[in-house]
Amino acid sequence: MIELTHVRRTFGQTVAVEDLSLAIPPGEIFAFLGPNGAGKTTTIKMLVGLLQPSQGSLRVAGWDVVKHPQQVAQQIGYVPDEPFLYDKLTGREFLEFIAQVRGMDPKQAQDRIAYQAELFQLHGFLDQLTDTYSHGMKQRVVFASVLLHDPPLLVADEPMVGLDPKSVRLVKDLMRARAAQGKTVFISTHTLTLAEEIADRIGILHRGQLLFVGSLAQMRQQGLMQDKSLEEFFLELTDGQGHAQPPHAPVENIPLAAREGASIWGLPSASSVPPQEDC
Amino acid sequence: MAIPWAIQEPAEPATTVPLALPTPSAEVRAFGQLRFRRFRWAMRMGLSGSRLRLALIMVLSLVLWGVIFWLCWDGFLFLRSAVAHTPTHDQIVHHVFGMYLLALMLMLIISSGILLYGMLFWGPDIPFLLTLPASTERVFLHKFQEAVWLSSWAFVLLSSPMFVAYGLAADSPWYYYLLLAPFLVAFSYIPAALGALLCLAVVRWFPGARMVFLLGVILVLLAGTAWVVRGLTGAEPGDLLTPHWFQSILQRLQFSQHRLLPSWWVSMGLLEASQPRQVPAWPVRPPWAESLLFLTLTISNALLFRQIAGWSGRSWYRTAYSRLHTQHRRRRQGLLAALAGSAVAGRLKQLPSTVIRAVDRFLLRLPIGARPIRLLVVKDFRLFRRDPLQWSQFLVFFGLVFFYFLHMRPFSYDIHHTTWVNMVSFLNLSVVGLLLSTFTTRFIFPAISLEGRRFWLLGLLPLRREQILWSKFLYAFGGSILPCSLLVLLSDWKLGISPLIGAIHQLTAVLLALGLSGIAVGLGAKMPNFRETSPARIAAGFGGTLCLVLSALYIVLIVALTALPSHFWLAFQTGQTFWTPRPFGLWEKDIRFWMLGGIGASILLGLAATAIPLRIGFHAFRRMEF
Repeated sequence: MIELTHVRRTFGQTVAVEDLSLAIPPGEIFAFLGPNGAGKTTTIKMLVGLLQPSQGSLRVAGWDVVKHPQQVAQQIGYVPDEPFLYDKLTGREFLEFIAQVRGMDPKQAQDRIAYQAELFQLHGFLDQLTDTYSHGMKQRVVFASVLLHDPPLLVADEPMVGLDPKSVRLVKDLMRARAAQGKTVFISTHTLTLAEEIADRIGILHRGQLLFVGSLAQMRQQGLMQDKSLEEFFLELTDGQGHAQPPHAPVENIPLAAREGASIWGLPSASSVPPQEDC
Repeated sequence: MAIPWAIQEPAEPATTVPLALPTPSAEVRAFGQLRFRRFRWAMRMGLSGSRLRLALIMVLSLVLWGVIFWLCWDGFLFLRSAVAHTPTHDQIVHHVFGMYLLALMLMLIISSGILLYGMLFWGPDIPFLLTLPASTERVFLHKFQEAVWLSSWAFVLLSSPMFVAYGLAADSPWYYYLLLAPFLVAFSYIPAALGALLCLAVVRWFPGARMVFLLGVILVLLAGTAWVVRGLTGAEPGDLLTPHWFQSILQRLQFSQHRLLPSWWVSMGLLEASQPRQVPAWPVRPPWAESLLFLTLTISNALLFRQIAGWSGRSWYRTAYSRLHTQHRRRRQGLLAALAGSAVAGRLKQLPSTVIRAVDRFLLRLPIGARPIRLLVVKDFRLFRRDPLQWSQFLVFFGLVFFYFLHMRPFSYDIHHTTWVNMVSFLNLSVVGLLLSTFTTRFIFPAISLEGRRFWLLGLLPLRREQILWSKFLYAFGGSILPCSLLVLLSDWKLGISPLIGAIHQLTAVLLALGLSGIAVGLGAKMPNFRETSPARIAAGFGGTLCLVLSALYIVLIVALTALPSHFWLAFQTGQTFWTPRPFGLWEKDIRFWMLGGIGASILLGLAATAIPLRIGFHAFRRMEF
């Protein structure tokens, strides 16, 4: 389903992704792990066609991402790290727009919207403007929108951020169900337990380079993890040591009386004097 | 599939979803409906939630329309009476239309280019749209359409009264008014498409040099304006309105009459349509047919340019987007080094940052306000200089006024008449004030709302809320007074104003900067909009409109309080006046008292306009919940 071949992406002199080759078959949940700035989001943005690789190629369902971005987009449901909704549309209108752009006829669109609304429990607010939604409500509408066309590939960048425990559980179940139906799920996450729990394979990216690809079982079989947890293994791989040491704090004292008075000139005002205790 | 909290697992629809791409017509329908629905919701909310705001906007627009119409109507009638020779009259109107449309075309190219840069490459919906299976061309055209609308509505609002006034003054037939709208709409597409092409090409091939390019365009614009103004200012005093003067001016504006300019087509088409109905002898075409030919030419070119823009969008947009978003941030600094040789490169590279650091240090050491306030001012100054939208608009408008003032003396007709000089000097002061008020409304008023969005950050710092507002006020005042005062000084110098009136002007400039900053900061704190992320939209809201109206009223009052008595006082001093030697039957001592009283009243008004909005703003800001 996904095929990355010697992909490289630079930002000026900085190499964000270096010689990344990866193949993910249909029916697999793949979790991309890595510290901040490792190149996960850049890889995802290349995969969904937002950024183009400096070198190498990316293919989704056989389509080259750079040459056929439309065909690739039709195969993908993409949940970005900062999901977007039009604030002057209702949730339903937003979903209808997605359905139209995805080439569904009106009847199909209504059926799919009704199904997703039921699945994500959107009925209570689907006809309200999205600028009245909470973060969690927005996330649920975004998930409904990306699954509207039942895509063969779901790509999600930090999908659990802002979701309540119920919704987290729902999304995890959905991912498993999709994989069981032969569809592919590609997620990027910092939550190691999530990867440990649902991913068939894990890729650890660090400074643009893929340090490890495989399942937890493979890690254990190869003796890489020994009796360590995924967290310890991840830190060892990305930091070079199992336990990151915090840096020494500077020894000078920071004055806590920095708050200045109400006056523009910084003179103390009556309100800045601490209240006297009654005797 | 197990759903943890659903009462019953929903049944998945039996129909499978096709993964075929949408047809072009389906795309057009989807995006058209998207725009329509967003517009309908915005209108519905505007009508239900803020009728006062809508009414105010409508009334103000009508007033503005009416004022422009009246000025143009008066001007065209004057022209008709001053130039009896019909071919010369038509030639002059043709040049006026040509120059006006050409200037607007240049402005529309730049404004739509800048707008599209923001919308195509930094719009919050762009990553979403580019990951949908809509064609790249459709996404580009969707944004292009929005940019045409945004950059052209002001063009139509400002142009229509002039053309309607001309139609009435020239006693034009009914179809002149009918053809006006398609001419203006078709015309606005051409500069918008050129702006789009320019924007796409720069980002596609020179993403790292886009700021240098923008600066270059601004410099070329300023140089071009200076060249045109210089070309117009050669007339000798006393030559005014003579046939020789007209011919000389028309000769210098000949460049606006090039046959390949869309502004020329529109100008010709409208003038033909305005001709009285008559049936000329065959084979000469009647004027309405000539006008239709020019309309067809304009529309076909508008469609062609739109099509070229669409094709370019299809080919360049995704690559341009990717190239821009994979630029290294430090690249811009390296550009100077690349342009200069290696020997000077290091110094050149360091120069801007050295100067900027020195300015920051200077601001931090100013003996005004507490240190946290100065730190916030430095932060706002940094945001200003890193936001090209702010500094480029500031530079273009103040630059244009600067060039106008610089070339004012030779442009004068009767410079030696004190009354004229005095009137022009106060008009210039008002222009500077009005320009300043647009900036305080556009950039200072929304600053409180934007600060409120990140209030969690400032709220956790050891700062008092008042200090945030004081910092905004000092930033606004400091940023306004310098250009305002310098421009007024330049205008006074070029007009040869007496030191006393010059001093009054400087005092008025200080009062304007103080009052306008106070109004913008005070109202910004009283009427914040924390839902909106775009400063332009915050400024376009009710609070922003009110801020602009109050600012304009304040400018009129302040200038009138100081200008009128100064005017009569000067008239007494020199014995030059349009009316009688004793205006309103007043003696010199009365006028002197009036002048002192006017200055005193303007100071009081200035202090009130600063203190009252700030006080209201402080009160509201202290109690505000974020």
